[in-house]
Amino acid sequence: MFGFFNKKYDNPALLEEMKTRQERWFAFLDKLEARMHELTTAAIPGLQEIFNQDADPYKRAHSNMLQGLLGQINHMRQKANDIQEEQIIDFVYQAEAMVPVVTSTVGRDYHNRIMNFRMACLNRHYIFDEKLNKCMQRLQQATGARDLEAAYQEQLRAFESIRDKFSCQQCGGNITIEKMFFIDTYVTCPFCHSQNTFSPSTGARMVLHDARALAEQRTAHLRQAYEESTPRDPEREKVYLRAMIDEWNKIIPDMAEENEKFYERLLREQSFHHFK
Amino acid sequence: MAEEKDNKLSAYLERLKQQAATQQHYGGDITPEEAKMDIRDCPKCGAGRAFEKGLTACTYCGFVFMDIKLTDGVNIKKENNS
Repeated sequence: MFGFFNKKYDNPALLEEMKTRQERWFAFLDKLEARMHELTTAAIPGLQEIFNQDADPYKRAHSNMLQGLLGQINHMRQKANDIQEEQIIDFVYQAEAMVPVVTSTVGRDYHNRIMNFRMACLNRHYIFDEKLNKCMQRLQQATGARDLEAAYQEQLRAFESIRDKFSCQQCGGNITIEKMFFIDTYVTCPFCHSQNTFSPSTGARMVLHDARALAEQRTAHLRQAYEESTPRDPEREKVYLRAMIDEWNKIIPDMAEENEKFYERLLREQSFHHFK
Repeated sequence: MAEEKDNKLSAYLERLKQQAATQQHYGGDITPEEAKMDIRDCPKCGAGRAFEKGLTACTYCGFVFMDIKLTDGVNIKKENNS
């Protein structure tokens, strides 16, 4: 009756402040994105070069460089998060406390404007985050997939050529290695029954290390089918996981029991991921 | 200005590459090795290790090769205890 709630509220300084903050925030993220793209594009040739030159079987020099670059990108993410917290979120809370309550007619307009400001800033940050993830992906995939199948076939051939060439260190009798081993193992001499220790070559040991990646490469089409389904189809994932584990077991039959346990765990995690 | 920025970036990348290449690997470098066969004779009596009586002690003189109890693994089973 006194018109308290319809009293006009005007705060041009706040509107101006929101406009300036939004512009500054957008400009800041634009700059950060430009730097991120620049860094990614410039780093990829170097990453590929170090990967090709790296003689280490685990490609650790390449991994060191990649981790350094990912650290830089993550630093940018952290910086954007900090600035967002300080300059946007805190400001929104302050502004909301400053204007009349949202239930009043006078306050509604300002609350809507603050909400629009907040959403514009958060959406811009979301776009930045997506671009950042893409940059990280580009760096991680810069070297492309290694041809693990060729390396595995080479090791199979190498094993076939050496399996009959060993002799017992005790009696000198010929020893044939019955199957491919990937870790040191005892081999019994068929003549004197002494325990010889067979140490596989570095290449054969790497088969054990790369077995899962190779199994994933062999079943990549099934994974792709799962990832392209919308919404993601848990049945397709199950088909992929089963095929991947089967391939893994084919490469390393000795680890089949452990791989099955791992498969069971993946299935349990799957029911968690697809929880509705 | 842009050129200076480019130089700074390429210098940083070059430094990072150098560091990555020269950094000592955790666990040391790996030297490629060929497959080989080896044996450990009993240091006490010189006999070879026989499979039937287990792997942890010498069948002939009882010398203890390893002072542990073997459990089931990929290639070694608990039956291999002497």
